[in-house]
Amino acid sequence: MDFEFSPEEQKMLQEVRAFLKSEITPELKAESLAIGYCYGGQLGREFVRKFAANGWLVPNWPNEYGGLGASAMLTFAIKEELAYIMPLIFVAAHMAGPTILHFGSEEMKKQWLLPIARGEVEFALGYTEPWAGSDLSALTIEAVDQGDHFILNGQKTFNTHSHVADYHWLATITDPDAKRYQNMSMMIVDLKSPGITIRPLITMAGWQTNEVFYDDVVVPKENLVGEMNQGFYYLMAALDYERMFPMGGYRRLFDEIVQYAKETVVDGQPLSKDPLIRQKLAQLAIELEANNLIFYRLAHIIDEGKIPNYETSMQKLFATELAQRITNTGMDVLGLYGQLKKGSKWAALSGQVEHRYRWSVVETIYAGTSEIQRNIMALRGLKLPSK
Amino acid sequence: MNYDLNKTQTILKDEAHRFLAKECPSDFVREMAEDETGYSKELWQKMAELDWMGVLIPEQYDGIGGNFLDLTVLLSEMGYSCLPGPFFSCVVLGGLTILEAGSDSQKTDVLPALSRGEQILSLAWVEQDGTYVPGGIKLAAILNGEEYILNGTKLFVPYAHVADTFICVARTGQTLEDKNAGLTLFLVNAKQQGIHIETLITMAGDRQCEVIFEDVHVSKDNILGQLDQGWPVLKKVLQMSAVAKCAEMIGGAQRTMDMAIPYVKGREQFGRPVGAFQAIQHHCANMLTYADTIKFMTYQAAWRISEGLPFEKEASMCKAWGSESYRKLVALAHQVIGGMGFMEEYDLQLYFKQAKAAEQMLGDADFHRELVAKEIGL
Repeated sequence: MDFEFSPEEQKMLQEVRAFLKSEITPELKAESLAIGYCYGGQLGREFVRKFAANGWLVPNWPNEYGGLGASAMLTFAIKEELAYIMPLIFVAAHMAGPTILHFGSEEMKKQWLLPIARGEVEFALGYTEPWAGSDLSALTIEAVDQGDHFILNGQKTFNTHSHVADYHWLATITDPDAKRYQNMSMMIVDLKSPGITIRPLITMAGWQTNEVFYDDVVVPKENLVGEMNQGFYYLMAALDYERMFPMGGYRRLFDEIVQYAKETVVDGQPLSKDPLIRQKLAQLAIELEANNLIFYRLAHIIDEGKIPNYETSMQKLFATELAQRITNTGMDVLGLYGQLKKGSKWAALSGQVEHRYRWSVVETIYAGTSEIQRNIMALRGLKLPSK
Repeated sequence: MNYDLNKTQTILKDEAHRFLAKECPSDFVREMAEDETGYSKELWQKMAELDWMGVLIPEQYDGIGGNFLDLTVLLSEMGYSCLPGPFFSCVVLGGLTILEAGSDSQKTDVLPALSRGEQILSLAWVEQDGTYVPGGIKLAAILNGEEYILNGTKLFVPYAHVADTFICVARTGQTLEDKNAGLTLFLVNAKQQGIHIETLITMAGDRQCEVIFEDVHVSKDNILGQLDQGWPVLKKVLQMSAVAKCAEMIGGAQRTMDMAIPYVKGREQFGRPVGAFQAIQHHCANMLTYADTIKFMTYQAAWRISEGLPFEKEASMCKAWGSESYRKLVALAHQVIGGMGFMEEYDLQLYFKQAKAAEQMLGDADFHRELVAKEIGL
């Protein structure tokens, strides 16, 4: 056993930290925040290219595809470092890319992986539909095979990022007569294609997600990922690799709440001397540590050449529920000041706590609700019967 | 990072598992709860022959020179089988204190016999306050020539009734400036005149005793470590023992899972296994999270102790987390197993009791959260 990073890993993490410190500006953070912590804005694209030039966007990919051939452990640690400074979500590099790497044809890998690794293109996830949320097998959007291309018709919803990304990573029905799970394909769709309409949906956390409508949209056949009608399996496999949830952003928020408690004097003593606040904050520190251990366990499993199973669901579930406890405790510690938004007179911690308090609501819902994660843990991890 | 046990530890775990499955079935655990001494001398000797008592003891004192992770592996299997007896009080509480504070001649006196299973130690620490803080120690040791005379009452002394030697925490000084000073550890012959032992009757069937020291004469040579400087030693032993207690919880949590999961797969209601209901599945998923996190929190702290790294924060995190998580895990097991789990004849009750007893011992979650608060600078 060993619960620390190797000296080489620590050295690289130092470099990453130094880079982030010098490159991430308040302007970049503001832009990123406004589009839901996705990159795709002007400053974001510039930053990501510089970051990716070091191989840090996809360290565990092979060198020929723009990675460093590094361990999953280091890859996870870099994601955590980035999340601590600025939580950024990468759909192409961290969700679509690995699927292409595992299941894509040689031509597809050659065409897409290098630009993704360099941070030159970004995707938006296109999974959810109005009648297919937790049950992704209920999709209705249909791609009809026309020989050298598909014609797409239907609707997606909650496709965050699709108004700023370049391509849609789309799950579609390609064989409506086939059984569930054997009727779905994954394809890459240029978001500038004629026939695509994007309608904004604004979240209660202030950022934009979207509905995306497809009317007779043409998609070239070479944009099909892997085999026809195998999309559901690709999607599920990708989730095992990619559902892990870096907590860096919330770790930082927690550190700032601790600092606030130490510096804020109420009724003659710092908040940090109040036994109840001490207990609550210590509990969060403990839970962050527990999360850290089950987060890096995923990397350990991958580095041993295995595919994480229920362990990914456990970490996603634990982390997102913990995120809500952190923001709620933060609101408690700040008291009446907690409600004040960024820009308000008397706002504490730049209004971050109330913002993350609103934000964290969605995290136990997207990428598989907490209930779906528990189902997976029970069925796959504990082999409980499904009926 | 590496989450795997090494080969030796894996072998130790498998061997301990097989041995205890044979030697310590739940009938035996129930029998020992009723037994006068609360443990089996025969089993104790067999464990000594397997070198379990000497797991932490260096080879020069006839131990096998293992590290804290090896101990963790062993304790986890003991927790799995709910092993009754003085292993924890003797090897962990007693052994660690001697290893931390003993002089070479004290180690030579005690450790080889401990390693052979011929010497049972216990740590007489807690008093009427029921706390693990220095202020709770009132038992007085007064210097009289070359001897100290001990007077006072210790409580919750584990397996004192079968101990050969106590490590007694006594107050030798009092200063207002330093609350932590003035405590001294004494090695005391447990059979000595003036010692009165009465066994308390506990929920989990483990033995904890009241030990009254009435004019007990102890030579100055029996001071363990430095005069008045006992607290730093105790504090370290407390933190290490707390991790060791969590190691038992790892096994207990696993055993609870091994009862509950097959049960919900087999038990049918409404025409299907109850494990097919999401209400049950979600309880089971939560149990799995508790079991995994208790394990890694404990291994991390144990690894740090083994490596000689600072471990205070991780130890307290692990005891705070383990204490509550193990209890919650067992509570969920009760919920999914239903009425049968409430029966004395069903083994779950043993782990229900073990969980609460382990939670209270060596500082509960509130106690350790306060230590974590200090560690993170609050």
